[in-house]
Amino acid sequence: MLALKNITVSHGEEPVLAGANLDLSAGERLLVCGAAGSAKSTLLNVASGLIPRLVTPSHFAGEATLTGKPLSAMSKDTLFAEIGLVMQSVEEQSWDLGVEDLIAFPMENRSMPKAEIRVRVDALLKQFRLDALRGRRVLTLSGGERRMVAIAAAMALSPRLLILDEPTTGLDPAARQRLTEALADTLDSKRAVLVAEQDPAAFHSVAGTVRFISKGQVSEARSFETLMNEERPWREAGILPPHRTASSPKASAPGAEILGVRDVTTVLCRAHGQPVLNGAELMVRAGEVLGLIGRNGAGKTTLFQSILGLARISRGKITIEGIDATGWTVARRARRIAYLPQNMRRILFNMTLAEEVLFAITAGADPGEADRNRAQACLEKYGLGGLSETNPFALSVRQQALLGLACADAAGAAVAILDEPLLGRDLNGRAMLDLFIHSMTDKGRAVMLISHDLELIEEVATRTLILADGRIAFDGDSSEAWQSAAFRALGWPAPSFLPEGLVA
Amino acid sequence: MNSVHNVNFFIKLAFAFALMAIAWFLPDWRSSVPLAVATVALLAIFRVPGIRAYFKGAGLLVLLVMASWIANLMIQGETFVAAVETALAMAARLVTTTAVFFFVMETSTPGSILAASSAARLPPIATLVLSLTFGVIPMLRHDFERIADAQRARGMEIDDVSFPMRLRFALARGVPLLIQAVRMAHAISLSLSIYGFDLSRKRTTWREVGLLVEHRLPGIETP
Repeated sequence: MLALKNITVSHGEEPVLAGANLDLSAGERLLVCGAAGSAKSTLLNVASGLIPRLVTPSHFAGEATLTGKPLSAMSKDTLFAEIGLVMQSVEEQSWDLGVEDLIAFPMENRSMPKAEIRVRVDALLKQFRLDALRGRRVLTLSGGERRMVAIAAAMALSPRLLILDEPTTGLDPAARQRLTEALADTLDSKRAVLVAEQDPAAFHSVAGTVRFISKGQVSEARSFETLMNEERPWREAGILPPHRTASSPKASAPGAEILGVRDVTTVLCRAHGQPVLNGAELMVRAGEVLGLIGRNGAGKTTLFQSILGLARISRGKITIEGIDATGWTVARRARRIAYLPQNMRRILFNMTLAEEVLFAITAGADPGEADRNRAQACLEKYGLGGLSETNPFALSVRQQALLGLACADAAGAAVAILDEPLLGRDLNGRAMLDLFIHSMTDKGRAVMLISHDLELIEEVATRTLILADGRIAFDGDSSEAWQSAAFRALGWPAPSFLPEGLVA
Repeated sequence: MNSVHNVNFFIKLAFAFALMAIAWFLPDWRSSVPLAVATVALLAIFRVPGIRAYFKGAGLLVLLVMASWIANLMIQGETFVAAVETALAMAARLVTTTAVFFFVMETSTPGSILAASSAARLPPIATLVLSLTFGVIPMLRHDFERIADAQRARGMEIDDVSFPMRLRFALARGVPLLIQAVRMAHAISLSLSIYGFDLSRKRTTWREVGLLVEHRLPGIETP
């Protein structure tokens, strides 16, 4: 069905794809795996016709065809009716529409009759179990919810080829399951799916074949079933294997409390009137690595916003290093609590990497020579030393995540809150994340990791919290978390390297 | 969201133009000031989002108009009282105009504008221009606030500082806002392409459109 022949793409001087080949048959469900920066997205953008049609690289060569027809010869209308695409960053393809608007958009634009559109939108909302999001605006959704809506929109025209770039990013395990079930229900022998993922285990039930991408080349297809229990091919491709033995580099005994959340109830309420946080209570101690999990939309974002003072609270208090932070400005809190969102673009605003790190050190005051040296040292520590004069918006998503680590490290904050770090599944990225965590905990600081990656939580967190119904439903050792009633209530599978008996 | 958000965009737009015309035809401050006050009160009654930001902007607008017009008219020989009356009338007209269009913008989502335009079978280019013109400004305002929150969350003290310093920090948000605006334009353009928006083809809509525009698709029972 899809054939990519001898594809070469350069965004600068060096090609990111160098004569790559890939073919995909009708009915095939192919997973493309590779480290961050291995050009998975570029490959998918070529397969979808986005490159070179809508995004022009500095150099492009090769041929991409769908059912024998060159993508370049197909009209845009036909091309994007035949191919459904969800990009890695959903923000790149959505704007301030309603949930129903976004799903209906491809059908409305093709003048389909209203009754037909309504039936199809309703069916997709039900199939992806998005009923609760009816009437909501896309920009008000959590990252995971937004991604599910974008996938539903990509399925609206029942495309022949569905292309998903890192579709599980930001999805909780239940949402991942819903996604794979919906895909399995929809796909038949006439359709194909091409998925790029760093978390291959999520697609075990859907994908039949796997190809690795590395050094600009795409490997031959191999059976997913066979690869599942091997470690070497995944590691050679630069990613963590789906099944592996757990490493548990746990920190030493925790020190004094450095962040306290006491009985916090937010002003912000859910549609049915219940506060998003309703009596939330937790503490973070020096040297700890906390893992925070909860369903999409459980209030994890609201929790850190309350800690920083960005979300108003109606009851309770926040203490930072033993001092009641009531009345502190957001900036004063932020100088002790560093926050790194998944999408770092949200918090970057300086013109160079060096300025970003300097800002983290000085909070806007005039920097001295020592500050400049410290900023440069921090950039080098996270592999960004040669990019100090580059604009942060010119970096890749992975490099921006590393910049976030460099800033949080340089800031010297007591606690760093990492919201769904994208570095968890890539070997190099994971090494940087481990470096950051050790750098923090060795200095008696702490890290709070908000993630749906339960394997990551199991491996790095010294304590796990489960947020449900506006409060902390479980607070304890990670190994106990997977057997707790709060975890069972989530209905998620336990981390995959645990023995079978522990599955909730 | 209340019911005024669901009123058809074109009805709100017609209302805005009518109110603006009335404001500019009123003879002096005695009638234009009450109209401006009533219009601003409407914003509060309907709990229009971003109203505090609007009040700040409107306050600044009134100050600038009053100061520049009074100075100008007095230089031309008007008495102080006459200059104040003329400036007040002008400021009131501007407040009425900006308030009523702010109302239209903040209570109309791009989706509802697309729906109203598609139901009216407007040419796609008109549909696009209307939804972008009225829909993007609130998005940029949200981004402006988000950038401020990002600066706070990175430790920049922009709240506990003097007004001139706040103004300086607000201006400094211009660069990231510009970058964000470019990204937003790129996202919208990409979205239009991959979802099949075509300038030569009139759109349809999933929404029921009349005096009100449906904002939520009810579940459809399947047999």
